[in-house]
Amino acid sequence: MFSGLKERLQAARNRLGGSIGAAATAQAPAGQPAGATSASAPAGAAPAQAGPSLTEKVRILIIDRELVVSEKDVADALEELEMTLLESDVALPVTDAIIADVRKSLVGKHRKIGESVDALVVGALKSALLNVLGKGFDLPAYIRAHERPVKILFTGVNGTGKTTTVAKIGAYLKNQGFSVVIGAGDTFRAGAIEQIGVHAERIGIKVIEHQTGADPSAVLFDTVQYAIAHKTDVVLADTAGRFHTKANLMSQLDKIRRVMKPDLVVYVDEAVAGNDAVVRAAEFDRTVGADAIVLTKADMDSRGGAAISIAHTIGKPLLFLGTGQAYDDIMPFDPDAVVEELLGSGSS
Amino acid sequence: MMDSLSGSLKDALKKLAGKAVVDRAAVDELVKNLQRALLSADVNVKLVMELSKAVRTRSLDEELPKNINVREHVLRIVYQELVRLVYATADLKLEPQVILMAGLQGSGKTTTTAKIARFFQKKGMKVGVICADTFRPGAYDQLSTLCAKVNVPCFGDPKATDARKITQEGLVALKDLEVLIVDTQGRHALEPDLIQEIIDLNKITKASHRWLVIDAALGQQASEQAKRFHEAIGIDGVIITKMDGTAKGGGAISAVAETKSGIVFIGAGETVENLERFDANGFISRLLGMGDLQALMEKARESQMEEELDMEAMMKGNFTLRDMYKQLEALNKMGPLKQIMNMLPMGNMQLPEGVYDVTSTKMVRYRIIMDSMTPKELDDPSIINSSRMQRIARGAGGAPEEVRELLKYYKMMHKTLKGLKGMGSGGKFNMQRLMKRFSGMQ
Repeated sequence: MFSGLKERLQAARNRLGGSIGAAATAQAPAGQPAGATSASAPAGAAPAQAGPSLTEKVRILIIDRELVVSEKDVADALEELEMTLLESDVALPVTDAIIADVRKSLVGKHRKIGESVDALVVGALKSALLNVLGKGFDLPAYIRAHERPVKILFTGVNGTGKTTTVAKIGAYLKNQGFSVVIGAGDTFRAGAIEQIGVHAERIGIKVIEHQTGADPSAVLFDTVQYAIAHKTDVVLADTAGRFHTKANLMSQLDKIRRVMKPDLVVYVDEAVAGNDAVVRAAEFDRTVGADAIVLTKADMDSRGGAAISIAHTIGKPLLFLGTGQAYDDIMPFDPDAVVEELLGSGSS
Repeated sequence: MMDSLSGSLKDALKKLAGKAVVDRAAVDELVKNLQRALLSADVNVKLVMELSKAVRTRSLDEELPKNINVREHVLRIVYQELVRLVYATADLKLEPQVILMAGLQGSGKTTTTAKIARFFQKKGMKVGVICADTFRPGAYDQLSTLCAKVNVPCFGDPKATDARKITQEGLVALKDLEVLIVDTQGRHALEPDLIQEIIDLNKITKASHRWLVIDAALGQQASEQAKRFHEAIGIDGVIITKMDGTAKGGGAISAVAETKSGIVFIGAGETVENLERFDANGFISRLLGMGDLQALMEKARESQMEEELDMEAMMKGNFTLRDMYKQLEALNKMGPLKQIMNMLPMGNMQLPEGVYDVTSTKMVRYRIIMDSMTPKELDDPSIINSSRMQRIARGAGGAPEEVRELLKYYKMMHKTLKGLKGMGSGGKFNMQRLMKRFSGMQ
């Protein structure tokens, strides 16, 4: 997964490292005292006739001397990193933020020539990405720690995969030993109730449904009542996809939130989304709130930029990644593991 | 975010205005802003780079045409290059045909299928729909519900598991109809079984069109997916969906580039009626977040011509209310009146303070008032007496005082311009050239 981003990041990392390294070798000879021209070769090949003091000098100059990374050294490489991120669907404002972060942590940094350039660059990239991705979210632990039923509301724009995600998370939680009920809150889209109904039947979870066109708040309220009466652990509330630009649909969502009082609002978007991911995530967060994110369709050879964009924009943890069409194609998101994989030891 | 981007694009264009020759630095800045605008609209990075390179070379190398300023010149190049990217014509004929829908999961194929059925139905064709999505639960219910709303026959079986078989049956069952649309399951390029399935469906249906449905929000992935779909079944048209959100649909450009086809439709809304034919101009404007670009270009030329005409009329002393209105509009585009007057080589000539007091809201009122005047009154405001004034005020939904104020302002302008005329004939005062300079300041 995210193999595209991984490859690109590693290439960028090599370039960054390369340009800092090049700057270092370019600076080192220039910094030598006049008259020591013969010693401009690497330290190991220091000429014998130069005497120990000179060898020592050269050693200090080349190996122990600290170098300051200047903005100029990394400018080109950062520009390429910028393109890399953009090509990987990281939204423009988020790309700007990451670049600024990396630049800040690299420029002005003192380092010894002997120290690995690679480590420096990887460190900067890693911290920038971790900064953006934040922490993961352990759903089973959350459910155990909270009063039952834990009510989870799923929101998002059309076609991101909310209904499928509800089914997958239902199956996942059921496997973890929780009892689950699903509320068929998408009463708008034709076939949505049938869709969630079939899913629920296959994974053996109860669905509370009304007719198409019914008030979704009422459906979900009934679902919560059912869960209370039957001491169910988790309520998963599906909703109709809606665009953040439709004020009436957003206020409908707000009503749903008031009526069912969810413990968690989960925002669902797709990993293949481009720059718009940022705009709509911010708008959903602003109007109805979002406590966690699920990113679907991560199996589509996705470059994973949307994960970075959305996480950065609303600053909320990623809960799961959807990675296919089967019920078990879902994986909890672990930022450390992802960043480790992205920057890991592919090419050192 | 988009607003600030198109803002900086506009700023960059402004810097080009008023220049006599194309300025390399200004072009570079414009190109950079253009790149950012396109990238945040999800246009493929490589396409953006190619396009910006073309804009840069053409802006710098092509000779500046006569009667056109630098800003228009560059704007026109940007526009032409963008049109070149999206404006391949997509074939759409009202004849018997089979259309195969393809696309990623959740891109909106099923809704679009119903919308296209509605489109052909409204054109008077006999339309039928086959549901070949045997995977997603509820897919058949969704399609048949949508089709039932517009009385389009929908063939399918919620219990079917073999898309190929159900399609064959559907082709037989609906063979009397003219247009058949085959909705398929969502799939992506990394699912070989599903790609094979759509290749088979293409063979079975002998589809006349294979349209790729692209979500407006789809990012850089669009290129790769479109390429693979194209390799599998030969896409000959692209449909952008969900354009009613904030996404700009740049991914569709990538898809068009990969498939060498055109954009057929744009979907923007959840009902079956919300389908539009593609309009390159509107699409590009939205992409750049810059309003109607083509109209903007034409307007720029018009306003320049108008200004020149106006000046001639004014120099002759035939300054009417009509001229004043045009003039106000032109001046407003150039910036605050006071600033412009200060630029004129009028020495220390004092202008009445009131001349500067026309705000844009007042201008709107003035326009409404002038709209209630007869052509005669516009040409010769001196005939406006109190009864005419009453009538004009009533027509404009205002008080006679407003009309009076407008006339007072007109007189003031008239006087000022008479003064200018005197100045003009005295020295080396080339009004036309001056106005050209101003138009550059907008």
